[in-house]
Amino acid sequence: MRRWFRAAREIYEGMYIAPYRSAIHREYLRQHDLFLLVGFSDLLGVPNPVQFYTLELYPELLEAFHTWHLRMGLEHPPEGGFRCC
Amino acid sequence: MLLSAERALPDQPILFFGGKGGVGKTTLAATAALSFAARGQRTLLVSTDPAHSTGDILQADLGAEPRPVIADCWAMELDPEREADRYIDEVKTRVASAAPPRLLAEVERQIDIARVSPGAVEAALFERFTRILEEEGKEFNRIVFDTAPTGQTLRLLSLPELMTAWMTGMIQRRKKVRALARMWRNVAGSAKSDTERDDPILAALEERRARFLRARQILTASERAAFVFVVTPERLPIWETEKAVQTLSRHGIPVGAIIVNQVLPPPASGEGPTAFLDARREREARSLASISRDFGNWPVLCVHLQETDPVGIDALKELAARIRPAPAEWDDRMEEHR
Repeated sequence: MRRWFRAAREIYEGMYIAPYRSAIHREYLRQHDLFLLVGFSDLLGVPNPVQFYTLELYPELLEAFHTWHLRMGLEHPPEGGFRCC
Repeated sequence: MLLSAERALPDQPILFFGGKGGVGKTTLAATAALSFAARGQRTLLVSTDPAHSTGDILQADLGAEPRPVIADCWAMELDPEREADRYIDEVKTRVASAAPPRLLAEVERQIDIARVSPGAVEAALFERFTRILEEEGKEFNRIVFDTAPTGQTLRLLSLPELMTAWMTGMIQRRKKVRALARMWRNVAGSAKSDTERDDPILAALEERRARFLRARQILTASERAAFVFVVTPERLPIWETEKAVQTLSRHGIPVGAIIVNQVLPPPASGEGPTAFLDARREREARSLASISRDFGNWPVLCVHLQETDPVGIDALKELAARIRPAPAEWDDRMEEHR
């Protein structure tokens, strides 16, 4: 009986929370990529006037860049950019 | 005899002296600083011009930190390259304590690349400039900036507006990413991560942004800061100054005074008529008329052409006594030439 209850709760959680969870994850990835785009806009030819005042963000941007290229299915970062791995 | 300069120069604690190259802004900035110091106000004279003639004119050895010149007067010359190195070093120190060791080498490489790219020097200069602005009211009662040629200076003064907007965007983005990462971890039930920690990098960025914002507030407060333009009675300096005044008002930076330098003194009583000088005076009268017409909204001051170039502290102090409000006859001359 107790086991049955637990199973029911997991099903309920899966139905209720899973879509919410994936929506949050999608939004997270979207914001993450946007941050990367804003931070490295000069690499795409869009001038970034605050590049020098946000140099401290490089570790963060590099980390973001690393997860981005893995997610894009590139095992190694594209040539000419950052050597994160 | 200091009285005339005292009355004539603007009251704002922060003054920028600017104008076309060669009109005498370095001389007059130094003169103003010495005259403020003579009144017992603790004054800092800052040269942002890479050519650095301030040390030559004061006949003093100046550096990147304030050095005493006379009682109550300090002076410094900003070296853009050095400021850039210092800025980069600061950033590296901050990053080293916060970045994951795995990434550190690459991060430092990227920062070194940024150091040599165009704009780095300007950025570092601006960073230092905002720090000096904050000294007013603390270490010093008055700060006099001897600025670089007009274009560069206008850019420097308009930067705070642009920078704060962009930095706000970057900082907010980063906060949002962090907040979402936290939310996702919470629903995914994973362990607490470093996003919960206090963030030194975010703190540094917020501090810098706040300083830019304060710089903007100082620059646009007409009771705290003003721009003093130096012109000579010649066409090109007048035109350049006209454009500069327009740009400043677009950015909301107040103009305190226009100083007309190297005006020919009136003919001495014993001086006979010389065709050359008369012709020069005739031309000059036209320039002076256009100055009083175009800059009539601001106090116009006048300094006559001196017999010798004022170099050294004593000569500059003497020059301070010769800064006077422009005589009213400049307008009359304008009528004559219509």
